[in-house]
Amino acid sequence: MPGATYDLLRGLLVTKHALEYIVLAIAFAFIILFSIFIDGFATLGNLSNMARNSAALVVLSCGMAVVIIARGLDLSQIAVMVAVSSVFGLLLSNGSGYGTALGAAFVLAIALGIFNGWLIAFIEIPALLSTLATAMLIAGFGRWGILRGEYLVLLPKDLPVMMFLSTGNVLLLPVSVILAALVLVATAVLLDRTILGQAIHAMGDNYMAARLTGFSVRIAIIWTYIFSALTATVAGLIISSASGTVDFRIVTNGTLLFEVIMVVVLGGVPLRGGLGGVINVIIGVLLISVLRNGMTLMNLSSQVQDLVKGLVLISAIVIDNYFNPRDTETDTQGDL
Amino acid sequence: MKQILKRLAGWGTAGLLVLGLAAISQTATAQSSVYKGKKVIFEPISMGLTLTEAWARGMQRQADLLGFSFEIRDGGFDIKAMSQIFAKAINDKPAVIVINNPTVQLLSRQIRQAEKAGIGVLQINLQSNQISTAFVGANWTLIGTQIAEDIVKQCGQGSGRSGKVAIIPGQLTAADSIVMNDAAFAIFKKHPEIKVVSNQASNWEPEKARQITATVLQQNPDLCAIFGHWGVHTIGAGNAVKDAGKSDDVTVYATGGGNRLICNAIENGIIDRYWSYNADGQGRDLGTMVRLMLQGAKAPEGAMMTVDSPLIVIKRATYSPSQCWDM
Repeated sequence: MPGATYDLLRGLLVTKHALEYIVLAIAFAFIILFSIFIDGFATLGNLSNMARNSAALVVLSCGMAVVIIARGLDLSQIAVMVAVSSVFGLLLSNGSGYGTALGAAFVLAIALGIFNGWLIAFIEIPALLSTLATAMLIAGFGRWGILRGEYLVLLPKDLPVMMFLSTGNVLLLPVSVILAALVLVATAVLLDRTILGQAIHAMGDNYMAARLTGFSVRIAIIWTYIFSALTATVAGLIISSASGTVDFRIVTNGTLLFEVIMVVVLGGVPLRGGLGGVINVIIGVLLISVLRNGMTLMNLSSQVQDLVKGLVLISAIVIDNYFNPRDTETDTQGDL
Repeated sequence: MKQILKRLAGWGTAGLLVLGLAAISQTATAQSSVYKGKKVIFEPISMGLTLTEAWARGMQRQADLLGFSFEIRDGGFDIKAMSQIFAKAINDKPAVIVINNPTVQLLSRQIRQAEKAGIGVLQINLQSNQISTAFVGANWTLIGTQIAEDIVKQCGQGSGRSGKVAIIPGQLTAADSIVMNDAAFAIFKKHPEIKVVSNQASNWEPEKARQITATVLQQNPDLCAIFGHWGVHTIGAGNAVKDAGKSDDVTVYATGGGNRLICNAIENGIIDRYWSYNADGQGRDLGTMVRLMLQGAKAPEGAMMTVDSPLIVIKRATYSPSQCWDM
């Protein structure tokens, strides 16, 4: 590599935000490649389709980003999503009003968020273990207690509320995209404009220092898991209204949870916490959505798609590590 | 005299009845001794699906009637667990293992191992590379052929439609997907006007099938048909078609066990044509096959005893609720 170009690249990438720039560059490279080589990629219709298909991923990633920035992890997010969606769907099927069904869904989500947060903040079980356990608990109870052993709930798609969520438009924009945008704004406000947001960043940076500074760290932890559960509820409404089903198998068999974590990490939020915001979520989702859409249009099998996504993730992290090797400052304890 | 004759005839009839009952009771005892103490282990991909619940119900009925023991060991959609469960089942030395193998290769070696150990293996619906004592299930070649021929009629020459078809298998390595795709492509080969624009697996998930369909419809607004390999995930694909306002333009095909959930989807215009292998009827066939295997029935060396499930074709235009079944 010629010296001047290398120095310029090094100047750009030797920064704590290097991964964001790398992922953004890769995403734009794919956009250009796909626009040239894939028929129908660079069209307004496909852009709208990509936005609709990514809406739930954006919403879930916002919740996961908040938890990870506070140095937590929520492996129960997808389980919460399907449990809450199935309660919503079953109440609607049994003739309950929209308000009742929505209210019950959100109350259940808040209760599950509080339970997760309480286990981590007060019982002091590591987030990885406690949320893994609650995921199994919720999925098991949901199937046994709510679905009586079944895996699938078929939702009444013809109800106006379901039609509105799946095909409705407000100001020419699909409802699912508007919901995703609202969650992005709410996440930005939470992280950048509130004391809780300061506490979340401080906890991720140095938990003990945040506690000594006077932040109510235990309460803050509970709030992060409530926020994650609320985003799971919104994502559940988007997914279930579109597919007309709630499928419990995605808790144990699906790849959605890995995609959410991948979006957050690729976007530049380190798993050790302390750094990041909605811009990281947007960058991560951009890359994953472009890849997913382009590869579907190319008719690549799901195995090849997983392979490419894994290669991109590894490449981005290796490039980041090359330009920003670990030192005594960045090699923080707790970085997974 | 008449009265004496009548009394004699009465005693004779009563005697014959007693003898008959004794004979029946002896046969029943002999039959129950064939089954008594024998164990049948059923390993489904996962319980909680109407398909597997119907199969289990059919076999449980026979177990209750004849007195053999029947155990369910749930794979829980976990491929690694399925292999371990099968190994444990071989160690337990049952008379029969009933297996719902998710892929053609996954449990092939273990099926051979079980057969070598003298355990009869009955494969359901998804047949692996390895032959075993028996198979009960859908004839996927027939289903793939029939659906492909119907697609040719709907979308091929003279139909005035584009001929574009999207296939959505569950998993590309699953036995049903491989066989149905082979059969369908053999038909499409003879009809160059049919163009398969997408052949991507949904991992059996309705949401993934919906996303694939929405993207394919975007690229091919003149899509003519969708061939979903399983009704449950095809519900997601059908909803994408409905949401795009193309229910009248795109014919959605699917296959499956034909329970009430699917009939609701047909009634709501989410699926147009459905090839049902009637899981409830398969449960009865499984019960009968297990019974025969416990009696020692076997096909000639190198062959399998096979029961192909009869098919019911449910079409939206001629649909009737009686074509589906309830648990």
